[in-house]
Amino acid sequence: MALFSAPKTHPLHSKARSLRLDILEMINHAGFGHIGSAFSSVDILISLYNSKLFNFKKDRFVLSAGHLCASLYAVLADTGYFDKEELFTFAQFNSRLQGHATIDTPGINYSAGSLGQGLSYSIGLALGDPKHHVVCLSSDGEHNEGQVWEAIMAANKFHLGNLISIVDYNGCQIGGTTQEIMPLDELAGKYLRFGWTVTTVDGHNFYELARVLKKSKDSSIYPACIIVKTVLGKGVSFMENNCQYHDIKKLAPDLFITAKNELQRY
Amino acid sequence: MSSKDTKLASMRRAFGEALFALALKNPNLYVVDADLYPSLYLTDFKARFRSRFIQVGVAENNAAAIAAGLSATGKTVFLTSFACFSPAINWATIRQSICYNHHPVKIVGSHAGLMSADLGASHQMLEDVALMRTLPNMEVFAPIDASELKMMLPVIAYSQTPAYLRLVRPDTPLVNSARSFTIGKSRFLKRGDKITVLGYGPILTQLLLPDFDKFSLDIINCSSIKPLDDKTILTSIKKTGRCLVIEDHQQNGGLGEAVAKLILTSGQKCKFIHLGVNNAFGQSAHNYFDLYHHYALSPLAIRESLKKLLSTHAHS
Repeated sequence: MALFSAPKTHPLHSKARSLRLDILEMINHAGFGHIGSAFSSVDILISLYNSKLFNFKKDRFVLSAGHLCASLYAVLADTGYFDKEELFTFAQFNSRLQGHATIDTPGINYSAGSLGQGLSYSIGLALGDPKHHVVCLSSDGEHNEGQVWEAIMAANKFHLGNLISIVDYNGCQIGGTTQEIMPLDELAGKYLRFGWTVTTVDGHNFYELARVLKKSKDSSIYPACIIVKTVLGKGVSFMENNCQYHDIKKLAPDLFITAKNELQRY
Repeated sequence: MSSKDTKLASMRRAFGEALFALALKNPNLYVVDADLYPSLYLTDFKARFRSRFIQVGVAENNAAAIAAGLSATGKTVFLTSFACFSPAINWATIRQSICYNHHPVKIVGSHAGLMSADLGASHQMLEDVALMRTLPNMEVFAPIDASELKMMLPVIAYSQTPAYLRLVRPDTPLVNSARSFTIGKSRFLKRGDKITVLGYGPILTQLLLPDFDKFSLDIINCSSIKPLDDKTILTSIKKTGRCLVIEDHQQNGGLGEAVAKLILTSGQKCKFIHLGVNNAFGQSAHNYFDLYHHYALSPLAIRESLKKLLSTHAHS
């Protein structure tokens, strides 16, 4: 498995390019946004929402890491939940697209922002509706929160084969690398020892993402975890793996043009 | 407490029994418990409704968000623990996963107040009402006794709003004679025209002591703390011009503050005394009467306050 290869042959690759451009425009227009994790997570969301594996009218998607909502907004607009023009209202007064994900946005089931709660919420959903799947997306830094471990423990107890926890493992959080702030070390092994099935995957390879999502959905007895190795700021060279791009205000005009040019060639 | 022949009853036992009865009728009723079900008399519930009893262990944040998720699938969910853990430890989870997401989870916090005498300050939750009444969408209820709790529970269970229900540990006097409970409505325990007395929970039953009859008290049970029955309270205060608020809770953030704001906003003139714990932690004692005495919440302190309120005319 070639990590971070982003093969351009996949039919979804053009979406990966155009939605990154949408995210850049959206965040720059708002003068606010968590661009690093929006770029690290967008391919996961494209895979999920363009897959026939899930029917999100019945299955549920929970974004636990509410700050990376810009990528979800771009994907939901692309999927037809609302018009793409609405992306330019992101984080503005009276907008349905709040600065952190909320149920005001068509297609979003959970209002988030305070980290660590979404996996527990997903357990409640999975217990209450065992016939459908629940897919929860959290971030690696979010695993600093003790509540995430309470949830990881509980999912195993309740044998939630209909629960999938996807972790956007981009290695950065607000104040530095996850290794520096609070080392997660071998996160896959930790989930495994808590009784989950675990798969690690290249988060920018659509072929791999599709394969792993299918495999995880088929895990019928155990909750499934997908550790998605991603690159913070993926697609823009000066943002990649640069924790300073965890969140931004307006980009300087020359940086904006550089970013746009690079993404057009993505 | 009100007199020697007053019957005592356990609010917690009443809760367990009433919830069991509700669950018999409602197959969608769930309990999410943070390992305190025996103390909330839910042992029978657990045995009878195994699949609807979700034991999450000593993990109140996890419990609160699981309760929210279950509620999102259409279940009626009770989240059960002690007040000092839930809503204390999991306040931010209640704020986001329950209130902000509009899930009508019912949070039951037992062992509130100094009444949990021997357990000491860590367990004597005195800030729960303050924590809960500040949250948008959250309603707050504290029954005066086991009888009122039984009236209250079905009403709260089927309300489409998140709610906090405050229970106490000891057996307490049965004084409720109301046959029903309405959210946002208070009840008179006694009618008088000199002093309005407001409170919630069993501490208010101290005002029913025969010693206090001579003060002509208008005693209002504010078991619906939020929403509060503004109209009944202001009507009484207009008549008396004097108000005593008593609560087994911090003064800061409690009912007294809500009432003080109500009175000031209304423009009515009123002499006002607020009895509650004043910026202090509790402590262990063999029984809560000793603590009520120490923290100036006992009949002695009440008598002093009533005298003080009567000492000069409110409108002078």
